[in-house]
Amino acid sequence: MNIDVADLTRRFGRNQAVAGVDLEAGAGVFGLLGPNGAGKTSLLRMMATVIPPTSGRLRLLGRDPGASDERREIRRRLGYLPQNLGYYPGFTVVEFIEYFALLKDMPPARVSRAVATAVERVDLGDKARAKLRTLSGGMLRRVGIAQAIVNEPELLLLDEPTAGLDPEQRVTFRELLRDFGERATVVVSTHLVEDVGAACSEVALMDRGKIVFLGTPEELRVQGESNGVGDSPLERGYSAVLAGARS
Amino acid sequence: MDDVSGKVPRGSGLRPEQEGAPPPVVDLDRVWIGVAAEVWHRGPGWLERLAEKLLRSPGLARALLTTPSLLLPWLIASVVVLGAGAAATSTAGEPLVALLAPALAAAGIAYAYGPGIDPAWELSRSMAVSDRMVLLVRALSVFALDAALGLAASAASGTAAGITFDWLIPMTAVSLLALAAATLARSANVGVAAGLAAWCIAVLAGKGADGQFAVVVTDHSLFPFYLVCAVVSGAVVLYATRTPKAFSLTRTPRGTS
Repeated sequence: MNIDVADLTRRFGRNQAVAGVDLEAGAGVFGLLGPNGAGKTSLLRMMATVIPPTSGRLRLLGRDPGASDERREIRRRLGYLPQNLGYYPGFTVVEFIEYFALLKDMPPARVSRAVATAVERVDLGDKARAKLRTLSGGMLRRVGIAQAIVNEPELLLLDEPTAGLDPEQRVTFRELLRDFGERATVVVSTHLVEDVGAACSEVALMDRGKIVFLGTPEELRVQGESNGVGDSPLERGYSAVLAGARS
Repeated sequence: MDDVSGKVPRGSGLRPEQEGAPPPVVDLDRVWIGVAAEVWHRGPGWLERLAEKLLRSPGLARALLTTPSLLLPWLIASVVVLGAGAAATSTAGEPLVALLAPALAAAGIAYAYGPGIDPAWELSRSMAVSDRMVLLVRALSVFALDAALGLAASAASGTAAGITFDWLIPMTAVSLLALAAATLARSANVGVAAGLAAWCIAVLAGKGADGQFAVVVTDHSLFPFYLVCAVVSGAVVLYATRTPKAFSLTRTPRGTS
């Protein structure tokens, strides 16, 4: 299993953002759904080794992120897109991606080709030498995705990756996700159920720090057949599960 | 005689089984990636190559060159401030360089790395090159540069040789104090505020007690205090940037069963 999480919790002061999550995931695209404040981002940040858990067990790619050598190995094989991607306005697209490729410890000889591949995969070839301050929000999001995939990660963690992307770019992006999911574990945190339906093989729904549903998108759809609210079958499943968890 | 049989001649580079086969399909995407990689790649400058050799890490070298307080605008501002200090020292006789250098270093080191100043800080924390190592390298570089600029300004202002080096100890203490506050509060601005406030209080207290601003750098009896401050602040920095051991712990959080 690339992700092995047991009874994981994370507190920020008195607020318990993640409250005892158990999760296992191998290769494939794993969707993390939930309303704002459900704990998706905190869970993803722990899996990205950005913040440590308050308690519980976390193993990534068969390694323990608590040991510095193993954490470094995990990070070499990790791709992470934070919810709020900070960027250096004076960097070009290529410089930004190259910078993070180097910080991921990629061999310098491989970096320029890997950067070019990542730039082309997110369809930013014509903006490769543009300064980041000149790009639109959607383009910056794609730059963020490019830096996440530049090292061909075995574990790819994406927090709201489709925010700011237009419908055409979303379709292309879902293809990219499916492609990566064939050989890596991809975790996509989103509040857009259509992303999950189109790209994910498995989905977890979080509410108040806990996973309240774990199954396939089809199984989520079935949950909403009787009493869900929403425009699509997945939305109805989503709302039915949330209503059930809160009642 | 020339081979006119239509077969691929010897030395063509094709294997015998490929002879007579249709020409291989060229993967244009692959070719384009190779071309793009060549065209888009900007080779590292001499400074980055030097840093790479010294640090033995291309990632660390690139991180060093993106230090906010080592960028050109900051360097120009530092030179202007210390230059003005040197001029004022020459004319007024008060060793302003010795008072300005620690404040400048404190601000520069607090602004070396961290939330509030590094836009991609969250992302940097998930990278294989340790953020603690990045912080260490950046802080040491800023300190070394500010010390060199301060020494040059002191030399230019004709300050007495004794005082030229005396401010290095308070500078170390104030810089580490600023870094400790920045890492503990996870805010570069808090670090700058703490460092500058502490230094201003020390200078004003010295003026109140002795009638001279420069007493904070000339009074050697204060040096043990600075050293203690530096050691404690250094320990706080190490604590605040320590490796999170909680990743592998299995323990029950307070307040839950």
